[in-house]
Amino acid sequence: MTTAWFDEERRLTPDELQTVTFPMSRLGRRGYDEETVRGFMGAVHAEFVRLVNERASLWQEVQRLRRRILAGDPGSDEHGVLFGEADAHVHAVRILSSAQVTADRYVADAQAYSSRVTEEARLRRDDIMREAQQHSDMVLEEAHARAREAAVSALNVAAPPLTDRERRAAQAELAYLRTYSDVYRAHLRAYTEGVLSSIEDWERKEAASLQEVANGHTDRRSIS
Amino acid sequence: MATARGLSPEVGVPRSVIRLRRRRKAEPLDVARLRESFARVAMHGDELPLFFYSDLFIKHPEVRELFPVSMAAQRGHLVDALVKIVSQVDNVNDLALFLQGLGRDHRKFGAVAEHYDAVGASLLATLEHFSGPAWTPEVAADWKAAYELIASVMTAAARADEQVAPPWWRGTVVAFERKAFDVSVLLVRPEPRMDYLPGQSVAIESPSRPKLWRYYSMANAPRDDGLLEFHVRLIDGGAVSMALTSSSIADTELRLGSPVGVLTLSQPASGRDLLLVAGSTGLAPLKAILEQVAALQQPPRVHLFFGARTAEGLYDLDSLEKMAVQYPWLTVTPAVSDDSRFGGETGSLPDVVARHGDWSGHDAYLAGPTEMVKDAVARLASAGMAQEQIHIEDFGWSEP
Repeated sequence: MTTAWFDEERRLTPDELQTVTFPMSRLGRRGYDEETVRGFMGAVHAEFVRLVNERASLWQEVQRLRRRILAGDPGSDEHGVLFGEADAHVHAVRILSSAQVTADRYVADAQAYSSRVTEEARLRRDDIMREAQQHSDMVLEEAHARAREAAVSALNVAAPPLTDRERRAAQAELAYLRTYSDVYRAHLRAYTEGVLSSIEDWERKEAASLQEVANGHTDRRSIS
Repeated sequence: MATARGLSPEVGVPRSVIRLRRRRKAEPLDVARLRESFARVAMHGDELPLFFYSDLFIKHPEVRELFPVSMAAQRGHLVDALVKIVSQVDNVNDLALFLQGLGRDHRKFGAVAEHYDAVGASLLATLEHFSGPAWTPEVAADWKAAYELIASVMTAAARADEQVAPPWWRGTVVAFERKAFDVSVLLVRPEPRMDYLPGQSVAIESPSRPKLWRYYSMANAPRDDGLLEFHVRLIDGGAVSMALTSSSIADTELRLGSPVGVLTLSQPASGRDLLLVAGSTGLAPLKAILEQVAALQQPPRVHLFFGARTAEGLYDLDSLEKMAVQYPWLTVTPAVSDDSRFGGETGSLPDVVARHGDWSGHDAYLAGPTEMVKDAVARLASAGMAQEQIHIEDFGWSEP
């Protein structure tokens, strides 16, 4: 998601929520589940519409009350209880309260969302680490088996002098083992580096986004 | 948000209490009537604090910026504090301690004397609104008297605290190190210098999460250079921990509240040997205590158990093992709960501690995840350890 939505000057409209697109993640990279993002945006859109409607009706109500007070026509309300100053204050308190509850819900939703994303990232990271561990265990196990085999066959053939054919065979076996272990080591290195670079990439992005958020706050503070 | 702990002897406890009593004689406050009145309005649940804060912000918009965007946790704190005050209103000594802590603690939020009048007016308006016809002049007088007591004790404690401590410390992050995937160690320079007891904690506010304060323990005993070490574990969705475990926190300026907490070495020394049980970053306060012990003339024997889910979670084991080599009186036992491949002790930390024998002759200090600490305390108590030998931190309702 771009950070453009945090722009304080610009107001977001429900229509924009429906037309917003997200850049595709790079090929072969894992990104957010498209369906989840869409579902979430749908919920945000619905909530937005509801809020706009509520605000409109509350505004009308405010206007109506204001007109009545200005006209000095309290109707049957002789003591100004229903539409007096005290009543207007209670109305204001209610309006502010419902706005606060909405804000609280947004924060709670965002927090829950962030919690889910972090948890998923952590679990995925655990999986990757476990895979890497298993992979390296396997490589080690194979190497051990090969080495044992080589040692045993070396012992077995040590007593009688090697014929040329046997020596050549042993050398070939040795060469094979060297290549084999080189290849495995290269594989393991590439794999580990891949994991590391993913983590670095992730950290860099996290740092960048947090910096943006932090800058946003500093700007706001200096204005106020 | 607030804590009743961290009392410093400079604060005049007895004076405020005496004043409380005098006032009670002059304007008798009907405790039963107050409680009955509170029970009636408390039925409205969250509506009560919701009305209170909206009323306050409409009458005094400038107060709004002292609070975080989401007020959900804040409303809970207010109700908790009211419940505590009303239930202890006839136990003036305990209540005074609680309110003095609250008053001192509110300095870091930027609360000043004028705010107390504004809060009082909104509190009474809220109670009146929800009381309906039950709001008689007598009930109103009770609440007015009760609030005046509360405000006077809180502001007196805040004023006394102004003489000895700033409202908050500036803390520059001078070093940042990621010790494990989800644990970072921060080195912070507080300005001015901060005096504290090893094992204590401070509330921290990060610039990227304004008005959100979370408690972290100093992981070192006070040093000549005054630097503070903090161990921060990333909590899934944790707003503050996420900001503090990111490398972008380096060089930023945090805000630190006053040092608080009771997880400190008993004075005078009990003479007993020490058992330290640390789960994950619960190591921080215990490492500070360990440093304090190391500076003693005759250190007691110390056995430190350091537990985590996986071997990687034992983020500070290297430095602990170095200390164990350096100090003959120190034994360090690492334990891992979720990784059978680990070469050392495996299993839950309370199990591992129990397996290592009889601790009833020790003083125990425990810190870490709440469930782990609760479990370990229960095990030690049932194995015959007396309550006063067991030391844990309890922020109670103050921890958000």
